[in-house]
Amino acid sequence: MSADRTAKLLWSATALGGATAGASYFVTGGPRFWANWVVWFLFLLTLALGALFLVALEHLVSARWSVPLRRIPERLASLLIPLCAVALIGLGSLQALFPGARPEAAGDPALAGKAFWLGVPFFSARVALCAALGLVPLFVLLRGSLRQDRNPDPKFTIRARRFAPVCMAIFALLVTQAAFDWIGGLTPAWYSDVIGVYLFAGAFMAGLAATALAVLYLKGKDRLQAVRFDHVFNIGAFLFAFTVFWAYIAFAQYMLMWYGNLPDEVIWFQAHTGGAWLGVVALLALLHFFVPFFALVPRDVKGDPKRLRWVALVVLAAHWVDLYWLVFPALGAPVFSWPELGFALFFTCGSLLWVRGAMERGEDMPVGDPFLKEGLEFRL
Amino acid sequence: MNETFAVLGLFDSADALMEAVPKVRALNLGRLEAYTPYPVHGLDRALDQRRSPLAGMVMIMGILGALTALLFQYWISAVDYPIVTGGKAPSSWQAFVPIMFEVMVLFATFTAGLGMLLLLNRLPYFGHPVLQAKAIRGITRDRFALSVEAEETFDPAAARAALEAAGARDIELLPAPARGPWLTADFIQKSLAGIAVACLVSGLVMFAAVKLVPILPPMSHMSDQPRLDPQAESAFFKDGRGMRPPVAGTVARGFMPPGVASEDEAARLVNPLPRTPAVLAHGQAEYRIRCAVCHGALGNGISTLGAAYGAKPANLQAPNFLAYSDGRIYGAIVLGKNAMPSYAADLPEDARWAVVHYVRALQRAQNAKDEDLK
Repeated sequence: MSADRTAKLLWSATALGGATAGASYFVTGGPRFWANWVVWFLFLLTLALGALFLVALEHLVSARWSVPLRRIPERLASLLIPLCAVALIGLGSLQALFPGARPEAAGDPALAGKAFWLGVPFFSARVALCAALGLVPLFVLLRGSLRQDRNPDPKFTIRARRFAPVCMAIFALLVTQAAFDWIGGLTPAWYSDVIGVYLFAGAFMAGLAATALAVLYLKGKDRLQAVRFDHVFNIGAFLFAFTVFWAYIAFAQYMLMWYGNLPDEVIWFQAHTGGAWLGVVALLALLHFFVPFFALVPRDVKGDPKRLRWVALVVLAAHWVDLYWLVFPALGAPVFSWPELGFALFFTCGSLLWVRGAMERGEDMPVGDPFLKEGLEFRL
Repeated sequence: MNETFAVLGLFDSADALMEAVPKVRALNLGRLEAYTPYPVHGLDRALDQRRSPLAGMVMIMGILGALTALLFQYWISAVDYPIVTGGKAPSSWQAFVPIMFEVMVLFATFTAGLGMLLLLNRLPYFGHPVLQAKAIRGITRDRFALSVEAEETFDPAAARAALEAAGARDIELLPAPARGPWLTADFIQKSLAGIAVACLVSGLVMFAAVKLVPILPPMSHMSDQPRLDPQAESAFFKDGRGMRPPVAGTVARGFMPPGVASEDEAARLVNPLPRTPAVLAHGQAEYRIRCAVCHGALGNGISTLGAAYGAKPANLQAPNFLAYSDGRIYGAIVLGKNAMPSYAADLPEDARWAVVHYVRALQRAQNAKDEDLK
């Protein structure tokens, strides 16, 4: 398919998805529209942050193997720019979904004390601050990296290594804000310290899966020929390792709350595993842990493009199910129908359009990076 | 039996070794083996070694370990000696998971370690010939060795020439080791005797320590916990009670107690239960337990308790009670009336309404009309 036709197809799919999603606001009501919006905002946010984490991690630990791949997560992380708008529009969901932001909260003794934190003004301020903070690493790491293509000056490499710890702090803050505000805020009476780590595990997996898909796509187009089996293997190995990390965090959170059996904690799991949600939980465990884990267990398949491609797709689907499971119980029983499909079409095709544009920015590899040669010679 | 174990040569880099392997392999002189200071990926494929079955063994044993732990825990805590701990059901799978994980790791690591040593590395070799080689110092630092191991027919000179041609240096010939008998009767007897003596001595020392020094109980932190037993007193709380009552007004989630605040509110309620034989039988049973002792078996206020104590319970057959709505009777049960206390704590919601139905049946039975017979 020619590039023009692909672009046209993506644009029309995005428009169709957008129209469907918009229509759902009037047909199926505001809360469901906003729940979908929050799920997709979080999906793309965690994906972009996961990619940013890969970039920052490389600078932080002076990794060499990932230098030839670095441009791919850099491009994916640029999704944070359109996500600022998605986040600000998402503030419209506050009254519809977040009990702490409703006027009735003032009369609820459990929420009145936290009114300032959960209320619309400070919630919005936090979101705006985090959106601005998210642009800082892009400004430093991405712009500098692109400049280095034209002017191979190691100054950027040194600056990036100095900035990496700050970037990690920003990353942690953003993931925590997303988890505590956008997910925890749906049930303000419920506390879980580990929900941020849980979201981070999902975010890193989503970032890795998207990176794997983009790398394999570009390799298929003969654009990343110097990337060898060994590099792809490492991405597969990371993905494999983090399926276990995610499962560990998810189960640890559940088991401790189940054991403690404190009413204000278990009520969350009662709502999220009751009725048809139990089926969603089973699907989540299957897609987010069992399928990717057993699919990537044998040694050689971690670098096998065919296997890695479908596992990465499964992981991305599982990440959506994960966020759906975190957000949608606020509406009651699970619902899945044309509004969800419309949102999926709108946001996947929209983000693909953005990523397609980003894929043309700069070289496919950081050609000015002094460690590129070492990275290309990387051997398992 | 050959006198030579292998011919071994050294290379300076992993790449040189990888290049040499196919050259030597093509000559088909004997079994090839490589020794490197770190794992070199792709070497096993270059040497055409069969895929190690260890990974599969570890996987199977790991799954087996997890299943063993699951079944064992299920059996001890739900079948053999079911006991409720922490308010959890005896067969709570959540509690089994950490131990399933531990046993899975235990089985998997033992399989990996023992399988590697005993099955795949063909122990007992108490000293591998390569450990006696001059090259071993290099192999453990920065050299990469390739060796041609002797098979049925072996020509050491040809192997030496092949390695030389492939670029190896410091070629040496490793003599075959003396493979001593291992599992002899003597060895087994000595091992078993050693284990028995160790058990006996440690048991006696432990016994003596506990008996002679009674202030050192072996393990007491299970029985001496800083927690309060049920019904125990506590100096910590003002009222001295160790068990804390829930905060006033506490209700279970999703179980808002049904009931009414006033008689007028009750009067408007409608009986939600259908008038079926089962409901009437339930109402009869509850009425006989709770109500008949005062109101009488017929509901006419003539009862054993009234006769004994001179009390005057209501005659439910009186005209004003016949005119009561179902809700008012329900209200009297929940709120109490005059000397009658509330029966809300004794009768659950469905029992109250069943009793209301039964009282209605009693009233009708005592005021039967001719057309009731039709």
